[in-house]
Amino acid sequence: MPLYFYIDRAGVLHRLHPTVKVLALFVMFWSVYWVDHPLALLPLAIVIMLAARSAGAWPNFYRLRWLFVMVIFFTALAWMVFYRRGPALLDLGIIHLSRASLLFGFGRGLKLAELLATSVVFLSTTKIEEFTVGLLSIGVPYRAGFAITLAFRLAPLFMDSAVTVYQAQALRGYDFNRGGPLARVKRYVPVIIPVFMGSLRKANAMAMALEARGFGRLSQPTSFIEYPIAARDVIATIILIMIAAAYFMIYYSGYGAISLK
Amino acid sequence: MTELRLMWRNTRMIVLCAISAALYAAVLVPFKVVPLIPGVTELRPANAIPIVCSFLFGPAAAWGAAIGNMIGDFFGGVGPGDIFGFLGNLFYGYVPYKVWQVIAAGESPVSRSPLTIAKYVFACLMASMLCADVVGWGDNLLALRPFSMLGNIIVFNNMLAAVVLAPFILLAVYPRVRKGRMTYEDVMPEIRRPARITALCGLAMMVAGIVGAWVIGNLISTGYWMPAFMPAGAIQPPYDRAMALLVSPFIILAAAGLALM
Repeated sequence: MPLYFYIDRAGVLHRLHPTVKVLALFVMFWSVYWVDHPLALLPLAIVIMLAARSAGAWPNFYRLRWLFVMVIFFTALAWMVFYRRGPALLDLGIIHLSRASLLFGFGRGLKLAELLATSVVFLSTTKIEEFTVGLLSIGVPYRAGFAITLAFRLAPLFMDSAVTVYQAQALRGYDFNRGGPLARVKRYVPVIIPVFMGSLRKANAMAMALEARGFGRLSQPTSFIEYPIAARDVIATIILIMIAAAYFMIYYSGYGAISLK
Repeated sequence: MTELRLMWRNTRMIVLCAISAALYAAVLVPFKVVPLIPGVTELRPANAIPIVCSFLFGPAAAWGAAIGNMIGDFFGGVGPGDIFGFLGNLFYGYVPYKVWQVIAAGESPVSRSPLTIAKYVFACLMASMLCADVVGWGDNLLALRPFSMLGNIIVFNNMLAAVVLAPFILLAVYPRVRKGRMTYEDVMPEIRRPARITALCGLAMMVAGIVGAWVIGNLISTGYWMPAFMPAGAIQPPYDRAMALLVSPFIILAAAGLALM
């Protein structure tokens, strides 16, 4: 199973400054937050789809297609249980189906799907080091940024080690599929332990190697990779600010709300 | 909570933090395909890792849990609710060793006496409930998902991993890590503990906050409790205002208690 969504292309979205990409993520979260009505969320969905097309992110969307369907369906269903407002069209005891609960539930499902879609576009166009640069630019300390990058790098290595241990144990005749669900989960303990201990063996050497290279001597260390700000970054920032302002105006004017009448 | 800040000055703790995060993510990601409530949460045997790491690496495990969960979220899509996921997992990795320091200072968590097992379960339950409180409260505050939906499934999921898986891993790795002088007490001997009476007061505050937030969050989000002293507009679905007014003080109480420990 691939761990990352990144698609290597030279599109406009790929070439945006990491800080602008992090800003885009924030603007999408902000815009989605202010409105409840599914119709008010629709323009944003179109913007995200256009961005996905431009980034060539459709393979990732296809990979997660069932997740999108489940997010919308189960969120809508959950709010039909908990959002008991408006005259009931159908009252099944636990499920209160009204125009308001339908709109609210579907709106929430759409909101979560749009957030998911935004993150898929973001991850399809952003490398780990760019994400770290984006985090540092919004004030995350360098050492924390380094820990995040290192963790991102180590996770696939540990997954590979786990697969190797799994295969070695299976070759020796260890049956991972014996017993009920809990027993099966427990049978993975002999896989986790060697991976755990193997990773700890590296920790000391890694810390010494870092210190030998002067890690932590400077609070703002220099970097090999530099990200200059280009005209496209300025244009993208202006567009993002306009989207954020427009969605706040939709909320302020009351168009994004759900009427209970 | 000063050690959460101080650990960033120690290179070995930063490496242990990255390793905890990577291990957590490496087990988390493959199980993303086994949903418990589709679109909401999945089976998370990986939740055993922060518990194990907490007893071994203390504050590094807390940050590791938060970062590891963030990496996992990147695989299934990020959203504003993930800020609370980050915070909830930070507590999930932080609470076990803090509670252990107060109720079982100097004892080994792998001892098989009934009292040690009871203390271990208590530490894990507090960590699981605080994580559930923060994530459930945060998502309901943003009106994305009801508290009772997330608040209960997270406790179940975390406790399942903490009770069924974590003890076996701990049993295998704790003596080795202790012998290799890699525990947080060995790596950061400068960590100071508060006076016993202060720590006990902190524990009492934390337990009251955690249990209070969980009970009130459930009662409000299911509509079972409509406090008469609240304005009518604040106790209507999706109950985001009621969450902000009634559950937030308990979350703050729990965090304040934790800070005293």
